[in-house]
Amino acid sequence: MDQKYILDSGKYLAGLQDRITYLGDIKGGLEWGRLDQLLEKVQEVRNNIFEFTDKQLINLISDLEDRITFFEERVAKTLTPIEIVNIARSVQRFTLLDILENVYDSFTELGGEGDCNIDPAILVARATLTRRVKNRLYYHQVMVIGHEKGKGEEFRNGGSAKPWGNEKALRYMKVAETEGIPIHTYIFTPGAYPTEDYPGAAQQIARNLFQMARLRVPIVTFISEGGSGGAEAIGLADIRLMGSRGYYSVISPEGAAAIEGRIKEGEKVPQELVEHCAAQLKITAKDNLMLKTIDRIIEEPPLGARREDFAFFRRLRYEMVRATDEVVLQTKSFRAFRAYALKRQAQEIGNGSGDEFDIHIKWSLSDSEKAKLLEFRSEKYRKMGKGFTESRRAISRKLEKASNSLRQSFYDLRYGLLRHHSRSVQKILEEVSSEGSIFLKTVTEPMRAAYDFVFPKPDYPTTTEVFDPFRKSIFVQDWEHYISPLANEDRTVTCPNADKYGCRDLWVPDLYGEFCGVCPSCGHHFPLEYQWYLENLFDKDSVREFNAHIASSNPLRFDGFDIKLKKAMERTKRRSAIITFDAAVHGIKLVVAMLYSDFRSGTVGAAEGEKFIRACDRAKITRRPFLAYIHTTGGIRIHEGTLGVVQMPRCTLAVREYIDSGGLYMVVYDNNSYAGPVASFLGCSPYQVGIRSSRIGFAGPRVIRETTGADVPPDYHSAKNALRRGHIQGIWDRRDFRKNLFEAMMTMGSPHLYYK
Amino acid sequence: MDKKRILIANRGEIAIRIMNACDELDLDYVVVYTAQDSASLHVKKAIEEKGPEAVYRISNYKDPNEIFSVADHCGADAIHPGYGFFSENFRFARRAALRNRPLTFIGPRWEVIRDLGSKINTKRIAKQLGIPVIPGSDEPLYSEIEAEVLAEKLFFQQKEQGVDKPSILVKASAGGGGMGIEEVNHLDTFRQIYRRIQNYAKRQFGDEGVLIEQCMRDYHHLEVQLLCSQHEEIVHFSTRNCTIQSTGRQKRIEVAPGFDPKTIDYPFDAAKVLDLMVDYSIQLAKEVKYDNVGTWEWIVTRDGKPYLLEVNTRIQVENEISARISRISKHDAPVNLIREQIRSAFGEKLGFKQKHISFAGTSIELRIVAEDVKRGFAPWCGKITTFSFPEKPWVRLYSHVPQDEPYEIPTEYDPNLALAIIWGMNTEQAKERAREFISKTVIRGEDSRGKPIITNLEYLKDRLDDVLKF
Amino acid sequence: MDINLNDLLRQFKSHPYEDHHIDAPHTGVVSFKVKEGQEVKGPSGQWLHKPGTLLYILEREKNPKRITSSFSGTVANLRTQLEGTFVHAGERLLTVQHKLNRDEIIDRILRKVLFIFRAPQRARYFFTPEAISFLEKDTDKGLSVAPGDEIIIMSLMKRDTFLPYEGPPGIIYKVYFQQGDLVEQEAPLFGLCPPGKLPFVQKVIQRIRTEWDD
Repeated sequence: MDQKYILDSGKYLAGLQDRITYLGDIKGGLEWGRLDQLLEKVQEVRNNIFEFTDKQLINLISDLEDRITFFEERVAKTLTPIEIVNIARSVQRFTLLDILENVYDSFTELGGEGDCNIDPAILVARATLTRRVKNRLYYHQVMVIGHEKGKGEEFRNGGSAKPWGNEKALRYMKVAETEGIPIHTYIFTPGAYPTEDYPGAAQQIARNLFQMARLRVPIVTFISEGGSGGAEAIGLADIRLMGSRGYYSVISPEGAAAIEGRIKEGEKVPQELVEHCAAQLKITAKDNLMLKTIDRIIEEPPLGARREDFAFFRRLRYEMVRATDEVVLQTKSFRAFRAYALKRQAQEIGNGSGDEFDIHIKWSLSDSEKAKLLEFRSEKYRKMGKGFTESRRAISRKLEKASNSLRQSFYDLRYGLLRHHSRSVQKILEEVSSEGSIFLKTVTEPMRAAYDFVFPKPDYPTTTEVFDPFRKSIFVQDWEHYISPLANEDRTVTCPNADKYGCRDLWVPDLYGEFCGVCPSCGHHFPLEYQWYLENLFDKDSVREFNAHIASSNPLRFDGFDIKLKKAMERTKRRSAIITFDAAVHGIKLVVAMLYSDFRSGTVGAAEGEKFIRACDRAKITRRPFLAYIHTTGGIRIHEGTLGVVQMPRCTLAVREYIDSGGLYMVVYDNNSYAGPVASFLGCSPYQVGIRSSRIGFAGPRVIRETTGADVPPDYHSAKNALRRGHIQGIWDRRDFRKNLFEAMMTMGSPHLYYK
Repeated sequence: MDKKRILIANRGEIAIRIMNACDELDLDYVVVYTAQDSASLHVKKAIEEKGPEAVYRISNYKDPNEIFSVADHCGADAIHPGYGFFSENFRFARRAALRNRPLTFIGPRWEVIRDLGSKINTKRIAKQLGIPVIPGSDEPLYSEIEAEVLAEKLFFQQKEQGVDKPSILVKASAGGGGMGIEEVNHLDTFRQIYRRIQNYAKRQFGDEGVLIEQCMRDYHHLEVQLLCSQHEEIVHFSTRNCTIQSTGRQKRIEVAPGFDPKTIDYPFDAAKVLDLMVDYSIQLAKEVKYDNVGTWEWIVTRDGKPYLLEVNTRIQVENEISARISRISKHDAPVNLIREQIRSAFGEKLGFKQKHISFAGTSIELRIVAEDVKRGFAPWCGKITTFSFPEKPWVRLYSHVPQDEPYEIPTEYDPNLALAIIWGMNTEQAKERAREFISKTVIRGEDSRGKPIITNLEYLKDRLDDVLKF
Repeated sequence: MDINLNDLLRQFKSHPYEDHHIDAPHTGVVSFKVKEGQEVKGPSGQWLHKPGTLLYILEREKNPKRITSSFSGTVANLRTQLEGTFVHAGERLLTVQHKLNRDEIIDRILRKVLFIFRAPQRARYFFTPEAISFLEKDTDKGLSVAPGDEIIIMSLMKRDTFLPYEGPPGIIYKVYFQQGDLVEQEAPLFGLCPPGKLPFVQKVIQRIRTEWDD
């Protein structure tokens, strides 16, 4: 150690302190390895720096540094997933501003300056990259978009983007598209900020995904902290890179632990459970590469890159350029791409860092190349995460039987109720069908156009020609009416709005029978099982399920999930949380995807995503309308980790292609619809409707309280408020569903639909 | 066997008449009342006759849960709904029949209530049987184009028939009681009115279905009283004329029989029209297997054509004028239709046939109401201090208003004070007696500002002249 | 305005209680969930969305209805003899002795200060749709009313009548009924403050705020 070193010893000691606190960050506290004592020691030396002789100081410092290095090596060797999460969250980790400083040659921030910004958590910049090839300089313009976690400043909100921040991101993506420059996005977010204020967390992420699906410029993304939906808002890229000490997850390990451990709000989540979940969720770069949710890992130092790891920035710069080159070349010719890739490979093996480029590649694309780019993007996401579903075709016949027996048991029940007063089965059946006819009338009558006159028709002059498009194929349903099994009980219930509107207690057989679960005085909708919709929405015998064999699985081998899955399958007699089927309404055929609550709360995983995409494609090929009826969805299934998360871009891409082909995509929300699906393939629909009394949103009240610290009013997520905010386009009464659906199909959508 | 117990789910004079019928049949009964009705005579009478356990205070007469809850607690076997409230509510009747502890609903089967409860459906069934109904749509219209075509046709038909000022009515299909009805005098204004009614219907009833029918003018409102049993027996108790109504289409004077061709001239063969209506009514009752008391409402136009309006599947306020002009040869006691209704609901046979029923004289019902006829029949409320009527063998009076103490009219209900049923050997005598009755009736009282009570007694007297005259 | 604020305040200070009688809203079998003398809470939470203490369960037609307290206070006159029995609608079940807090004291005193527009008859009352939309706007301005303005609908015997306002012009300061409530004759409908009196009213409130400790 030389003289200069001694002169800077104060600063050097501060650096040592940083290293200790960083270790503390990783280990979740300074208790581990008595880091607190070590830190105190360093502090003591720092305080008494002039009391020591140079030699003493050198010895002290080198002794301390040895101890720290020893700890660092030990930590690096045993790095656990939760520790990787801690690295990614550490204040000492590099941020987007560090990248802009060190990876790009110059940059101009757009739409913000520090805290004077529509959303300081999202940073947009025009940046320049230079490339030196044979002593000539070439300049690349790129649009850099990403989360800025800041260095602990409150206003950055830890990189948690507000809806308007994501809107800003989208706006500049479009600018990049107009100017034909590539986009580099950097994901440093624990998750999106859960507010429903316009444009709405979920709705804006959905819009971003919908646009990125067909954005006609190369997009390369780098993930450091990939918090679920928030990450996807800017993450639908042609190449996805990830730092080796980053994490990419469907939910924070703490959140997963709270759900898995059924921890009540306000109670502490046990640390072991959090660690367990972090490991189960498969959130590290290595895991994600294995799951193929990312393309490449960028190596960081063993304990993760920090603000001054310049070697890492060099590496990152090289990787970003290379990835962009590859995306561009891919669209040009396969041969050029291969040659480039091989050369890069050889160079990387040859001289280690390989941060030199000996050719220049222009990053602008011709129209045909842009088309190809989109093709590749589509292909990439369609392949992503595939093969993590199971196929079980064999039990399909059994299933049919099961549904029959379900129907049978309903009659048994009904019979049971009435046998009580010794009535004949015959009479029961009569009652069932006559009640049905009443309901049917209200459904079909409004559309029914034929009438016959009371008197025999006289010859009389008429000036109008009757032509009504609603007239055709109307007399189709005459089948025995389905009655919810909920109706088989002689008791009353209180409407939740009784205090407000003075609704009378409702007799359950009336409520779930004739009233279709709707309070006749205030219109409150009591939840009904999804079968009710299957039976009442579509023409008789028109429902034909497909892809029923695609089954949810446990791709991450999440502890205990196999059992839960098995239970769900046994209870529902189905294999996933989505039912996809062909159906018809007044003779118009359509394709339907239905997420329903009974199976894992309608959560979306690989199987559900795959079925949704196939249904979407089927609608595209047959030029039929496509309805997503969301009986309930609890979001992305956490047990499938990022395999679940990538269903967001995947399905959105499929929807986008369907809509672009001239399809009519409608989303109807019922009961509860939250999180990922709403923030992607549902929220992107131009026609979204809520069934009365449904709730729609990004995060539930508890998550909002826990992440923002603020409470929300009880009706925060109500359909009415969603309509007010512009998130949905209408509220439907359940009893008008069939009629409105038919009307929508007749009056909306392009001439490309098969019946137009 | 224990006496059967009936829960009387109504208030006022009908509750009292049901109690009387129960007494006649030696049945036990229980009554319900609301806090507002504590002073009502029906409560007093029940306590006097059956003790304090026989009255139950409930929150609201219209809450079915209250009725069933009391019925179970007091161990009732049957529920008499009276008129109004649950009398034509098929859901109530259905619940009574299907609940774990079933109760006899004193009225027709719920299926009949449901099927005839819908005017449109009644019209459809009638049409199939060749029974005349008012020309117009026989199901709700939802398409403006169709509605217009039908309107055009109705105007054309009226012109063909030489109707002076043709017009049609546009009604909200789900409406009733005079709400959501407008008249169209010219085809040009049809579309505008149609849309208005459609919007009203959607807002008010949640169903935008609209009905169109020919607007009838210059007609009499008649009724046919039927009594049927669960054993497919059907008898009629002649007809009634209810043409004298308030502006809100509420009946004020009813007369039985429906026409009096012996003393009054009609521009058509009145006796034949009455027979025709009775025959048609019985035909429809047979078709739907009607099984209790019921009233078939008709209108008769000046050219002597009857049109079926609707069927009231309940005992009506004015049932007793039919009873008063009727006699059952096998019975000693006067006819009591409520008694017959209860018997029929318990599944008994009638025990007599049409040939055993004979008719004599004319009976008039006066509905005495605290209302201001000069101000659109606005209800009056306040306290009644004196309430006295002449006692005559030819008049029967029903009232829940006590005559021995002051009575505050509850503001929650219609201010009906009393029903007077008067009988005469012929129409002239009946009218004369009605006039005498009115002139000897004394009602005094004042409202919260000290202004004297307003009743419709004068109005009733004036309108007596018009009775039965076309 | 010549009200003796000191007297009023002294009165309230010596007995800051109000009895809220709890009657059965409808028939049913009652089972009490509180004890005599027990402290109970009213609804809480920012939007009063968390119900108060469960007082009793009233079961009718197999629907056990949980009746919670709308006021904080002490349970008194608990009619334990009714436990498990079938009660009529309107049967007195218990009383909640509620200690008035500062805002409630202000409210009670304001009733004596403001011009109170009272229900002319026992009837159901509604604000006109225009008035509602104004009142719901949640502005600080308040709805100003002049004599003859028809802002209240009285629903009596199924008939709706517009009720012209009679009294001094001013701003509606306080509304005492809920839309569609059955209001007793002479019960207050709303309290109105003439514009000139506003400073006085504010002074009264200020004074109570400073003098009253909860």
